[in-house]
Amino acid sequence: MTEATNQGAEQRLERAPSRTGRLAADLSEALPVLEIDDLPQQGAPVIAFDRVSKVYPAQPNRPALEDISLQIYPGEFVFLVGHSGSGKSTLVRLIIRELKPSSGKITIAGEDLGSMRNWRVPYLRRNIGCVFQDFKLLPNKTVFENVAFALEVIGKSRSVIRTQVPEVLRLVGLQDKLDKLPDQLSGGEAQRVSIARAIVNRPPLLVCDEPTGNLDPQTSRGIMDLLERINRTGTTVLVATHDREMVDNMRRRVIALDRGHLTRDQQRGVYGFDV
Amino acid sequence: MSSLIYFLKQSLQGFARNLSTTLGSIITIFLSLFIIGLFLMGGAVIQNVVESVENEVSITAYVADEASESDIAAAQDYIRGLDGVASVSFTTKDQALEKFREMSSNAAIVDELGGNPLPASIDIELSDPQKVEEVAKQIESSDQFKKIADEDNPSDSLKYGQRTVERLFSVTNYIRYIGIALIILLVFIALVFINNTIRLAIMARRKEIAIMRLVGASNGFIRGPFLMEGALHAIIGAALAIVSIELIRNLALPRLQASLAFLPIDVAPNTFLFIYLILLVAGLIIGLIGSMLAMRRYLKV
Repeated sequence: MTEATNQGAEQRLERAPSRTGRLAADLSEALPVLEIDDLPQQGAPVIAFDRVSKVYPAQPNRPALEDISLQIYPGEFVFLVGHSGSGKSTLVRLIIRELKPSSGKITIAGEDLGSMRNWRVPYLRRNIGCVFQDFKLLPNKTVFENVAFALEVIGKSRSVIRTQVPEVLRLVGLQDKLDKLPDQLSGGEAQRVSIARAIVNRPPLLVCDEPTGNLDPQTSRGIMDLLERINRTGTTVLVATHDREMVDNMRRRVIALDRGHLTRDQQRGVYGFDV
Repeated sequence: MSSLIYFLKQSLQGFARNLSTTLGSIITIFLSLFIIGLFLMGGAVIQNVVESVENEVSITAYVADEASESDIAAAQDYIRGLDGVASVSFTTKDQALEKFREMSSNAAIVDELGGNPLPASIDIELSDPQKVEEVAKQIESSDQFKKIADEDNPSDSLKYGQRTVERLFSVTNYIRYIGIALIILLVFIALVFINNTIRLAIMARRKEIAIMRLVGASNGFIRGPFLMEGALHAIIGAALAIVSIELIRNLALPRLQASLAFLPIDVAPNTFLFIYLILLVAGLIIGLIGSMLAMRRYLKV
């Protein structure tokens, strides 16, 4: 754990050349800016949306996403905020190609999802860790087995599993609960297991859809700390959330969606919606 | 290799989970393969019989007891001169009786009859089985034969295999159509059963499958266990069918042969190996297609 932190600190130093910022919204400027580094938005974007729209067949007149363009660069920590039904989950599902856009182009790590063949999709997903509000743990498997499962099914050898799984569980602070079943865990612990499962294969991109939606504020903070720590190791993290406190505290890049439209994209942003 | 073991483990778990439907699909596969096997075996036996009958296509012209030797010789000469006749020989009444004793499993009947009821005959071997009808007609209408014919009507005194062969063929054709219809029906039922069993297996593991997709398990890896399960049903069903047919071959066929001594029923061991191979392959095809149908419906990737 400490190793990871140190590594993160080093990377932070290396990232020192700051970019001249975008225009932050007035609301953001009015609030005190916490001590965080400006992130370099350089290199090829990990996630690039180019005029993406998604219309569900059930609601042809009300697009879930309309004309979304955005870039997320390697190493960024991005919040995706918006009310329920604003299109956050749709965007996440587009990224892992569970859905295809109705129009527009999505590029993940330089690969165009539109022209991607179906059999390639699993290999895309191996490079994207996913965390969801409902944890998606297998109830009849232990913590260790749940995390190991992610490696097993992509054909990793037993020795890799034996070394990597305890390591990642130590990183999320569950080294003592390897043999517990999911229903013996608290919500926060369960979410840590699902984060461990998402990152055990060391994907360059971690996508979280409402990771703290089921958790109390204090536990949520713990989860966010964990995500931040993962981010410091160089993993790009995208968190869809409506957890106002979390977003306001962390002052990271915020992309706001409102009824399918991208309404705001700012560095060091805040939640910014009236409740 | 390790994933093959994984597939096997998963599909065995599927077995245990839905034991009743699994048994259902195994039994339907077994029944359809068993019936396919029976028909193949029956086909092989009939093929054997037909061939032996065809090879032995000959005309037997029964001669009246009171016919004179010179008339018989004349008739023989006439027949020998016909087109398509290979050889002509004469069986006396005593020889006929002797032959009957050999062929029949129940020779005692003859002794009880007292006297010899069997007629003498002229046996005509043909060089071309197709011409049997033609040759028979010529013999029938010849004056030489009319004189010595056993019955008043010469055509009743002539026995030849063609009619038997034709009758045999028409009967086997009917049986074949019925068999094919039955097999199609059973294969269809087996497909439905397997489809259902695999569907249940997929439903039972829905959560696992969702996570496998999420973490990027390849489609083949997700499908493997279900294909394996279908294949296992098929192999078990085929094995049962093969065992049953092997039993029939070892227990029922010898008895049938004993009671139908004059028909060559024994089928070559190679034919049976071939039938078993067909059953196994057919079973595998049914199993794999059944599970693939289920996956196409319920396991969209």
